[in-house]
Order: sequence, then C-alpha cells, then structure tokens
Amino acid sequence: MNAGVPSPMDARIRISAALVILGLLIETATLFRNTPGSFLAFAFAGVACVVLGIAVFLISLVTVRNPPDR
Amino acid sequence: MVSPLALLVGLLAVTVLLLLVLVFKPSITRAPGGKILAFVALFLAPGLAVVAGGANHMENSKRTEFCLSCHVMGPYGKSLHVDDAEYIPAVHYQSNFVPRDEACYTCHTDYVMYGTLRSKFRGLRHIAVQYLGTIPDTIKLYTPYNNRECLHCHGGARKFLKAGAHRGEANFFADVTSGKRSCMESGCHDVVHNVRELKDAATWQGGQP
Repeated sequence: MNAGVPSPMDARIRISAALVILGLLIETATLFRNTPGSFLAFAFAGVACVVLGIAVFLISLVTVRNPPDR
Repeated sequence: MVSPLALLVGLLAVTVLLLLVLVFKPSITRAPGGKILAFVALFLAPGLAVVAGGANHMENSKRTEFCLSCHVMGPYGKSLHVDDAEYIPAVHYQSNFVPRDEACYTCHTDYVMYGTLRSKFRGLRHIAVQYLGTIPDTIKLYTPYNNRECLHCHGGARKFLKAGAHRGEANFFADVTSGKRSCMESGCHDVVHNVRELKDAATWQGGQP
C-alpha cells in the first residue's frame, strides 16, 4: 500500500482521536471546578465525546476495509 | 505522595499526547506496534480516564461547597453556622459531629446498600430542577427523613442510650429504630434547617480555615 495516501481507516482514526481528545480536554477542565455545572459538562459533553470517539474507532475496526497491499 | 487528582491529570496528559500522535500520523497503526498503540490510546486509556474522572466527580459531589454552590442552598448553608444549639445541623457542623467538608452528604445520604448511588440520583434530580425546572418556594425532602440516618452514628452511642428523654418510655428505642416514631417529631429534635427564621439570626464563624 502507498504509505503517503491516507486510507479510509486513517481518516476514521483521526476523527476518533479528535473526538476523544476533545472529550478528555473537557474532562480536564471540569476537574478543577466543584459545581453541579462542571459535573454536567463532564457527564454530558466530556464523556459523550469520549464514548463517541471510542465507538467510531471500534466500529471502524469491523466495518472499514483498507485497500489490499500491492 | 502524589494525589489521585495529579495522577488523573497525568493520565489525561499522556493519553492526549498518544492521541496527538495518531492524529498527525495515523498510518503508524498499519504496523503491529501501531495497532497496539491505537488500542491503548483510543480505548483503554480514555476508558480508564473517564472512569477515574467519574469517581473524582462522585467524591467531589459529596463536598459541602458543592451543595452550597447553588444559590438556593445558601440559607441551608447558613443554618450550619447559626449560633443556636437548638439547630440540629448547626450543632452537628460546629461540634464536628459530621465532617465539615461533607456535612450535607453525611446526613442526607442513605445508609443502605447503594445508598450513595441513590443519593447521587436524587442529586441529578436537583440539578434538573435547578437548570430546567422551577425551584419550589419551599424545599422539601422527597420522603420523610429516615431515623436510620441518625442512628447510623447515634444508635448504640452511650449519650443516646443514657439521655433522660430517651429512657422515659418503655418502647422508645424500638419505636425509633422501626421508624414508628421520628427523631424530629414535635418536641424532640424538631429545629432543623428552619431557613425562614434565619434572616437575622446570629452566626458562628469559628473553625473556618
């Protein structure tokens, strides 16, 4: 396979990683404020992004097929 | 010693760094080592970080400052400082009968299996009312206060067993334990938060860090 051309799996990994990074950054921000609002941000924004990112990765593992090596 | 929060922040930082590698060079996942890296960075480490973050938030939500961060809870916080020994929350808070940093939680959790979880779900309901609903003029408990929560600490204590008022009636201890008779019934420990009477009440601010 041509290493310079991004495969469909590469694109999915990028999306997945970006979502997880966003979720973890939200989680980090909420750790330093002890209010119900920060808990809500953690639960409904941070965790949601991380779970979505993980789901994209896991689903891609079984659904995306890279072109065969030449 | 490294605090759990510092460990969690470290885990978050390492995970983000690994993820950045994947964002900028996703092709490394074609090699066997890269596949392991992807699995760790995209599944194991974030999963662990979310669980640890959730545990951290659960612990933080037990703190008095968390409960009192909602404006509506202000008068209830004041009732912890009122300079009057009739007030049950004030006596417990000021005499360190409950940990000051978890004062609300200590009395308002359920001392049963999964009681913490149950009280956290009640907390979610409070949050929903705070942000989405209408806060009632008079805040009431969802169910009458259970003697079990008092007896968790006081039950069997010498002061509780020897108190004159507790020894005056034949079935007193059985009735209190079964819930037939409330600790807070009229004439007993019936001055609790009484927030409507606190406007001009004197407060005790000793013991503040």
